[in-house]
Amino acid sequence: MTASTLASPRPSNTCARKEAGLGSAILWETRKLRAQLRSRALLVGTLLAPVAVVLVVGAQSRPPKDSLFGRFSTENGFAMSLLVLGFASQWILPLVTAIVAGDAFASEDQHGTWKTVLTRSVSRSRLFWAKVLVSVVFGLVALVVLAAATIGASLLIVGRQPLTGLSGQLIEPGAALGLVAASWATMAPPLIAFTCLALLFSVWSRNAAVGIAAPVVIGMVMQLVGSLGGIEAIRPYLLTTPFEAWHGLLAEPRFTGPILDGVLSSAVWSGASLVAAFLVLRHRDITGG
Amino acid sequence: MTLTTDADPAVDVVGVTKRYGPLVAVDDVSLRVAPGEVYGILGPNGAGKTTLLRMLFGLIRPDSGTIAVFGRSWSRDDVRTLDGVAGFIESPKFYPYLTGRQNLEGLRLLDGSGLPDRLEEVLDVVDLTGREDDKVGGYSYGMRQRLGVAASLLRSPRLLVLDEPANGLDPGGIRDMRALVKRLADGGLTVLLSSHHMDEVEEICDNVTIMNRGSVAFHGTIDDLRAMAPDPGHLLRTGDDRQAVAIGRARHPGVVVEPAPDGGLVATGSERDLSAYVADLVRAEVPLLAFTPTRTPLEALFFMLTDARPDDVRLRGKEAVR
Repeated sequence: MTASTLASPRPSNTCARKEAGLGSAILWETRKLRAQLRSRALLVGTLLAPVAVVLVVGAQSRPPKDSLFGRFSTENGFAMSLLVLGFASQWILPLVTAIVAGDAFASEDQHGTWKTVLTRSVSRSRLFWAKVLVSVVFGLVALVVLAAATIGASLLIVGRQPLTGLSGQLIEPGAALGLVAASWATMAPPLIAFTCLALLFSVWSRNAAVGIAAPVVIGMVMQLVGSLGGIEAIRPYLLTTPFEAWHGLLAEPRFTGPILDGVLSSAVWSGASLVAAFLVLRHRDITGG
Repeated sequence: MTLTTDADPAVDVVGVTKRYGPLVAVDDVSLRVAPGEVYGILGPNGAGKTTLLRMLFGLIRPDSGTIAVFGRSWSRDDVRTLDGVAGFIESPKFYPYLTGRQNLEGLRLLDGSGLPDRLEEVLDVVDLTGREDDKVGGYSYGMRQRLGVAASLLRSPRLLVLDEPANGLDPGGIRDMRALVKRLADGGLTVLLSSHHMDEVEEICDNVTIMNRGSVAFHGTIDDLRAMAPDPGHLLRTGDDRQAVAIGRARHPGVVVEPAPDGGLVATGSERDLSAYVADLVRAEVPLLAFTPTRTPLEALFFMLTDARPDDVRLRGKEAVR
């Protein structure tokens, strides 16, 4: 630091300055996410992994008959898409969204950068909501890429034959495409809820590994609990139940009650997680870094 | 929105206390920094300096007391309290996967609108031009420290808060950092600097608060501090320590000669008395091998103030301004 080019420091005009808005904070969080190898690799993975899965499963001489739509998966592209959907909803989707959301707050602790950003003109609440929005949008983008890659690969590799529904009805390819896409879309509410859960663990634990692993483990435990008998009273409140709500779309007659219940329970999980995360961050003393 | 006036102190800390369980990290601290002043907060590690600065930045909430910056306070103005304020706490931290430029551009986003674009200028000031497109993960400690100063200057601050800015720097880096702070202060910037190096504060600051174990041990100007400083001590190595002690005791009542803990002797007294004593040793043909100052007087005072119990320190030191 030997340069002598600095003229006298210019006093800031405190009246003219405006504190950073939510848009600026979102832009900043987006830039950081784009620069991270992990997030880019994750999106590439959601694009390529379904192709590999469809190729491998499609090449099997004996289809996975024990899984929903597994029986028809090697001869019907729509069934293949739904087979992958059932598999993805068990732990892939919670993991995909948690990889970014679970790191969103904890990475600031890991890099010691809370003090860097919170000593600028942006409030904790704006940074909080920026991280929430960017994480949710990233999760949804990953879901869209995964769904598009799965459906595209399934139809191209396996084919567009009419789909046999859960009630044995035959669904024409045009209608089947809409129902398969809608089935994937029903993943959005529980995915958002898992994103919020990962954000909570990220804020609370200050540790990215916990932020990423905890929602996945909780999802697995809920899957296990959901598979037990005699728990009908709590099943609607499990965060994994909405992952199965799409079954009603493939039945005859169709029923959408579980989807609406899933949206409601996902909203409650999301809201509770975000309120808890916000309070933890708001009242926290930043002593590290 | 609170309007600020020139009459507002740059920093006004009143009766601030912060506890962590049974530990009182900051205990009823008050200080006031006038605009344009270069103010030092001095104290050993764990004295509460960094906790106090974190509270100023709103990173930590005080249990009691108030902190106002240019008339604004966190309770009333939230993040607008930091208008015109910049700096860093301990070593500045950045995102290692972003370049220096990307880090600064991002932080500029978080500074809100209404600030001039000084990115190139501040990179030049801290001598990082040419390295701004390298990832921060590859920066040396000194480069990150300089990037921290650049990030602070980007806000066109009226108050620059620097916590141990020379920590971890090599001697050349320390010299450059001090020169930069001086240059900024000469330009009219208010500087609040914490350090545990007496010489740093003595070289740069006009006023100083010495903290010890969370409490204020001294408030005042550097000149006040100098006036309180004890006589300088010198390490004395001779070929005949017994005779050197005897001469001191017999002929130089103004000089205290004692065995040093690591060998040799320590002679303490005024400069005049010490000169006479050394001349006497030479006349008596006592072989004189070394005569070097142990600590500067201000260093000696610093250790005296911070090694003692806080109550004792208050009795000897100047009382707090409030």
